[in-house]
Amino acid sequence: MNLVRWWSGLVVAFVLLALLRVYLPLPFAIEILIFSIYTIGCSFLLGRVGFISFGQPAYLAIGAYATAFYLSYFGTNPYAGLLVGLVAGFVGALAVGPLLVRLRGDYFALVNLALAVIIYYLMQKVLVDITHGDNGLELLTKMDSTPVLDISRPGHLFIFVFIVAAIVWVFYKYLDDTIYGACCLAVKVNEDKLRFLGYDVFKVRLTAFVIANTTTALAGALYAIHQGLVSPEMSSPARAADPVVVTILGGAGTLYGPLIGSIVYTGMKDMVSKMIGNWELIVGFTLVVIMLAGEKGIWGTLEPRLRRLASRVTGGKFGEAE
Amino acid sequence: MLDIQLLTSGFIFGLSMGSIFFLMTIGLSLCFGVMRVISLDQLLYYTVGAYIAYSVSLVIGNLWIGILAGIVISALSAFLVERLVFRRIYERELPFSMITSFGILIGGVGVVKLFWGLVPRPVAMPIDAQVFVLGTEIPVYRLVVIAFAGLVYVGIWLFLNKTIVGKAIRAGIENVEHVEGLGINVSRLFTLIFIIAGGLSGLAGGLHGPLIMVEPQMGLEVLAFAFMVVIIGGLGSIKGTLVSSFLVGQVVSIGSLIYAPLAAMAPFVLMLLILLVWPTGLFGSPMLKK
Amino acid sequence: MRATGNILDVNDLNAAYGESKVLFDIAISVKPNEVVACVGRNGAGKTTLLKSIVGFLKPVSGTVVAGGENLVGLTPYVVAGKGIKYIPQDKKVFSDLTVRENLELGSYASKDYGWDKVYDYFPKLKILLDRKAGYLSGGERQMLMVGRAILGHPKLLLVDEPTEGLAPSIVSHLKDVFRDLAKTTALIIVEQNLPMICAIADKIYALSEGRVMAELTERDQIKPEVCEKYL
Repeated sequence: MNLVRWWSGLVVAFVLLALLRVYLPLPFAIEILIFSIYTIGCSFLLGRVGFISFGQPAYLAIGAYATAFYLSYFGTNPYAGLLVGLVAGFVGALAVGPLLVRLRGDYFALVNLALAVIIYYLMQKVLVDITHGDNGLELLTKMDSTPVLDISRPGHLFIFVFIVAAIVWVFYKYLDDTIYGACCLAVKVNEDKLRFLGYDVFKVRLTAFVIANTTTALAGALYAIHQGLVSPEMSSPARAADPVVVTILGGAGTLYGPLIGSIVYTGMKDMVSKMIGNWELIVGFTLVVIMLAGEKGIWGTLEPRLRRLASRVTGGKFGEAE
Repeated sequence: MLDIQLLTSGFIFGLSMGSIFFLMTIGLSLCFGVMRVISLDQLLYYTVGAYIAYSVSLVIGNLWIGILAGIVISALSAFLVERLVFRRIYERELPFSMITSFGILIGGVGVVKLFWGLVPRPVAMPIDAQVFVLGTEIPVYRLVVIAFAGLVYVGIWLFLNKTIVGKAIRAGIENVEHVEGLGINVSRLFTLIFIIAGGLSGLAGGLHGPLIMVEPQMGLEVLAFAFMVVIIGGLGSIKGTLVSSFLVGQVVSIGSLIYAPLAAMAPFVLMLLILLVWPTGLFGSPMLKK
Repeated sequence: MRATGNILDVNDLNAAYGESKVLFDIAISVKPNEVVACVGRNGAGKTTLLKSIVGFLKPVSGTVVAGGENLVGLTPYVVAGKGIKYIPQDKKVFSDLTVRENLELGSYASKDYGWDKVYDYFPKLKILLDRKAGYLSGGERQMLMVGRAILGHPKLLLVDEPTEGLAPSIVSHLKDVFRDLAKTTALIIVEQNLPMICAIADKIYALSEGRVMAELTERDQIKPEVCEKYL
């Protein structure tokens, strides 16, 4: 595999992202990056494995609250907190995965939603003593400065998140190229055939589920550090739309879809909130329009064209199967 | 501890909640059973039904007329959505209809916000009277709600078993292609089912109004519950929907008597447990691909 | 479209399931009151052909002409309304409905409430009227499916593997029914049971891998041994 070709897409994407930072206010830029990480899990599940989940907020909350609990009650090192969040997500996904992954597509989506609701109520009411319910857990004062990159400061946090995002993207791109990645696509398109070939469909699905939701939990942990406050609202059913919309908007299953989707979504949200404040209207209709127009999303439609263009321009060296 | 009076009122409360769930979820179940689409927008018609009932009752002073108006407008909305959107997506896979109908639901919430604003509105109870049942006071309105659900169930049963269109629908739940091959206009049938679903969802919303406050997000908050009921009962089975509405209603109600914070969560846990044993719900249709 | 006097003319029909092509340049014709047989191994494309004619599968190219009109692109219920009905394989009736209700649906669709002709062919159905179709035997289900389809006096019946899995006595009964039906209705019958179909067919198309391999019209060609050669 041509190393230059393999890395070229990623390098271009992340250079552009870094440039974006010049034009966008810092909180915005961080938000977009974290949101992209949040979404890539959902996008991977939907676009590659064929599972739609309306309950991604659940895993976001698991990551966020794990980090918050650590920082509130156990330690003050934000890196450790992040690790706790990541591990919590991994464990959580591993725990519920075996049950959920057996379900038919629509049941899967809704049971995940149920999970999000369960966590919402858990954090809001049942565990209110340790979570402070709707008031949320406040973290800003609980984090130590760290050497080299002080992620309790926004400027440095951005750099850190940028690096994390880059790593995540390299990981997912690598995944695409492995046999495992091909298996995922196969599961989506024709799982019976895959079974006949000797692959364990359940294992493929379970692994995808764990990978996607650990990524989501990582985003949750990052949110906790970024926002400095974790409240049950992040797992409320109303928030279930966000990753789905961004996934579809950007193009489900594409590598850069979540990034583009995030940028567009966050931008739109900001613009619309300032103008008419009625956010749901735009989100809802955008979703319907995209679905009816072919469900490929922005990057999903652009990508094949850009590839052909790149291929022609560089005489076939770039742009073919990345 | 738990005495008869508390249990009675809890039980009736559970029945009335179950009644609302039932009315709300018949539409979902039918749409899936016949058309194999997930119609999350039914919760929009529920919201619309509630709001129209509220507004009309404010102007005219009679909630029942308001509820009637709510049913009509919901059915009309459902009709429009079916013609404009669902028509084009019947052939697609399930996640497609889920995402699209979700978009309609969210967009619709936005429309509701546009007209009525964010503030939750209280709806006046049409019947203030209370009645004594087994020593506890029960609001008559709750009994009326239960009566409505009962009537609707009987009505649906009669429709499905005694009318030719109903029989076509039952046949359609089994195999829509064959119904079409016989020469029956399934396109019209689908539209009819959608209108019925929308109307029933609107009725659910209208009836629910006085028991809660109407606010734009009400459809989203109930979404999880509605789907849980349908999943436990099994998508596509009316009988299943009835049983699980009843079940979930009681779990929430009696559950909140036992330990309030857990009560809202209990149905979800119940659902997870049931799915462990019956992956398609208690009475669900088998996993059919088109 | 040139009037050919045929009930059905299929020309240059190509069909595919997604990317995989299943039918290649199929041409068949059916005269009024003719019994046409479609034989071939599993996977040859026989069912796909029937589905394409009726509209359950939209052909990639080609024409399906009946009554001077191209049926391609019409939905199945419209095609059924024109008197062309498809009886699928696997004997799938509406299990939850009674025999009576199954017939009622047939009548509702075709506006023909004359069930006597159904009883003439299948007297047993009259006895089974109130039994749920799910409890019928294979033979009884096939009888119900045919009985239901003849309501409305269809011009053409497309029957998919009617005798599969049935006892010889019932196969014989069905053979007689089809022979008699042909006096008023043209039939395209997909069959694997060669002796049975050769006894009643006026013409046989042998299909293999999505193509028509042979069209057999002579008396001495319509024999199982001759068919076998082309499969």
